[in-house]
Amino acid sequence: MRVARGRSGKLSVLTVGAAVSLVLAGCGSGADTTAGGGENALPGVQQYLDAPCPEAGTKPQTDKEFTYWSMWTADEPQGKVLQKAFKCFQDKTGVKVDVQWLGRKAYTQNLAPALNTDNVPDLFDQDVSKVGAAIMTPGGTQGVDDVFAMKVGEGDKTVKDVLSPSSYDFPQNKDKEGKNFMVPYTLQSSAWWYNKDKVAVKDFAEPKTMTELTALFDKAGKSAISLDGDIPFYNMYYFTQLAERYVGPGGLYKAATDKTGQSWKTDPGFLKAATETAKLPKYLIDGWDAAKFPQIQQRWADGDSSYLYVGSWAPSETREYLDKQGSGQKINYGSFQFPKPDGATHDTVEQMSIGFSVTKKAKHAEGAKAFMAYFLNKDILSGIPAVADNLVPRTDLAVPDDLKALKTVMDDPKKEHVLQYDGIDGIAGGKWQTDVFDPADTSLLKGKLDPQQFVDQLAAKGAGFWKTQG
Amino acid sequence: MSAPTDTVARAAGPGRATGSRGGHLTRKRRLFWPFMIPALGLYLAFLVLPTLATVVLSFTKWAGSGDTPEPNGVDNYVQMWNNDSFQYSFQNTLIYVFAGGIGTFLLAFLFTMVLRDMRGGKAIRAILFFPNIVAPVALGMFLGFVFKYQPGKQGLANFMLEHVGASAAKFLDPANVTWVVTASIIWASSGFFITILMAAVDRIPPYLYEDADLAGASPWQKFRNITLPLTWDVIGVAGVLWTINALKIFELVFVLAGPGTYSPPNQAWTLGIYVFDRTFGSNGTPDFGAACACAVAMIALVSFLVVLLRRLMRRDVIQF
Repeated sequence: MRVARGRSGKLSVLTVGAAVSLVLAGCGSGADTTAGGGENALPGVQQYLDAPCPEAGTKPQTDKEFTYWSMWTADEPQGKVLQKAFKCFQDKTGVKVDVQWLGRKAYTQNLAPALNTDNVPDLFDQDVSKVGAAIMTPGGTQGVDDVFAMKVGEGDKTVKDVLSPSSYDFPQNKDKEGKNFMVPYTLQSSAWWYNKDKVAVKDFAEPKTMTELTALFDKAGKSAISLDGDIPFYNMYYFTQLAERYVGPGGLYKAATDKTGQSWKTDPGFLKAATETAKLPKYLIDGWDAAKFPQIQQRWADGDSSYLYVGSWAPSETREYLDKQGSGQKINYGSFQFPKPDGATHDTVEQMSIGFSVTKKAKHAEGAKAFMAYFLNKDILSGIPAVADNLVPRTDLAVPDDLKALKTVMDDPKKEHVLQYDGIDGIAGGKWQTDVFDPADTSLLKGKLDPQQFVDQLAAKGAGFWKTQG
Repeated sequence: MSAPTDTVARAAGPGRATGSRGGHLTRKRRLFWPFMIPALGLYLAFLVLPTLATVVLSFTKWAGSGDTPEPNGVDNYVQMWNNDSFQYSFQNTLIYVFAGGIGTFLLAFLFTMVLRDMRGGKAIRAILFFPNIVAPVALGMFLGFVFKYQPGKQGLANFMLEHVGASAAKFLDPANVTWVVTASIIWASSGFFITILMAAVDRIPPYLYEDADLAGASPWQKFRNITLPLTWDVIGVAGVLWTINALKIFELVFVLAGPGTYSPPNQAWTLGIYVFDRTFGSNGTPDFGAACACAVAMIALVSFLVVLLRRLMRRDVIQF
């Protein structure tokens, strides 16, 4: 169950347990591979794991250990990279890391309740929106600005020197005192994915207009787009991607938090975005609305459909699936962004930072912070692209082939960076999305609401939501 | 082996049992509290106090992560009642209690009519009980495959539908999933209730049925005039058990209607999922106050339904 994924569809202990039962019941596929094994293996996994440990730039003076509650599991690629980092950190500084592999829900199911006690980890990780909503807001984190001045073990280079500013320097990463509460080590974004060997005809060009995009889908035939419709976060991409291009960074967030709900109607961009979104459902694969993740995504990997819009974890997930299938099938991953629709004024790209934070009650903050700096050392951090097939917030490390197109877009200085979904998924602890957005969004994609009704419903239900929130 | 033990017991017995019957009672009374207190203490600490705490916390705003609960009156209840997700949860839970209950008991009655004088009834009873030994989570995962919709590569259910010439159905569409889960629960739990009811049926003296046979009674008449009245108290208890179980339905819906990690679309929620979502937050700050309010509503609902059921089922007990 090695799955690298940020925002959505993470496999819980619950699911894994049930899957194990199923395997025991004889329904499992059987073939299991370790990270990097199989015919879809990434080159350089073993090379990374066997490489010598770099020196630590910052050594803790007093701490001999610290505890870390991980969002990963030990057998995931990220888990393997972290284990190598712990080993190296202990070799070079003598500080032992006491790790608990808790998975993606650690921050709400383990950490949030633990904040009522003194039994908290020193270090934990998640994406900045989640940490902000669940841990920083109730006062569970401490500022980590001092980490940015720490040396990473590459001469005099500090954390601040190696990180791209757009990965940490934005309002959502500031606590109540204005200090950063997270230091990123992974970046995520999203894109249209396709198999270059299959889709790319000679005249394939990245679509620059919505007409060109739909023309691509027309060419793809009946099942152009795969979408696992049981994951609301996946359904959400289409409208939010298009709306961000009309209303710019912060626009969706502003409308969603408008207590009267009227912004949805007064800004014409939302209706236009909904109108563009409504052009897509006819290309969705049959069965997307009765989906059971990850079946539909696997149908894309199998070649049943041509395009898939999800996050930058798409290659690592589908690669693993193909590996387990053992059919020898490979995907030559290509990606492109949503085009700027007619009348839209913002050239945006979404970005989400995943990183380490330190708890307020941490007993070994010094050790934890030194490790945060050490993990950004290029010889350690390079495991994230090399082993986990993910992007990092440094510009000087190798980029996995699958993600090169996406990384180019993200590093493009002309692009406006927007936080994933413009952060509307974190509003009111996620309740706004569940109660107001998701039902309307599903109805728009299913054709039960037309664009005008969609916008009207967001306005009406949004106003109702905020009224009861008090 | 037993002889020496007996001797020891007899020898020790009279030594301790000196005194009158009153003395025995006094000692019994003296022992009452030492035996009672541990049980009472555990019950108070792990059940009564948490329940009271839930009630108190339902009148507060509390993220449950290091902050202090702030009283906010009945706000949580008002918000909950006006909330679409709660409305869906409430309706779906009632569907499970009533539609699921009626289906389960109809099926159970049907089997009690047939199984009683069927050859191999005991074996069939055991087989019908099988779905109960599977954990609901595993069942949900398994049914996810059974109800898969993929043209050309259908799950078992759609494969059979197509085989008989019907068109495949989107079972896992959030709009349909409540009914799919209801059917699954009827299938999974009727074996349990058949077992309970059959145990009660086995107590009924066979001559009553023989007598009815001689009088030429149909299976329905036998059920209506013998089985039903003589198992009435057991049916009542089974009904209460069902209500409590149906009200806390969670795992099956969670894995079948959603990806298994995040809450499914709110259209498919049950009250249990509502509490879970508010406790652990779909994407951020938990809302323990709101979760407690829903938990209190669940306690109120289950109490109301159980009392109602007991009232409806009240009859004079028939001695036999």
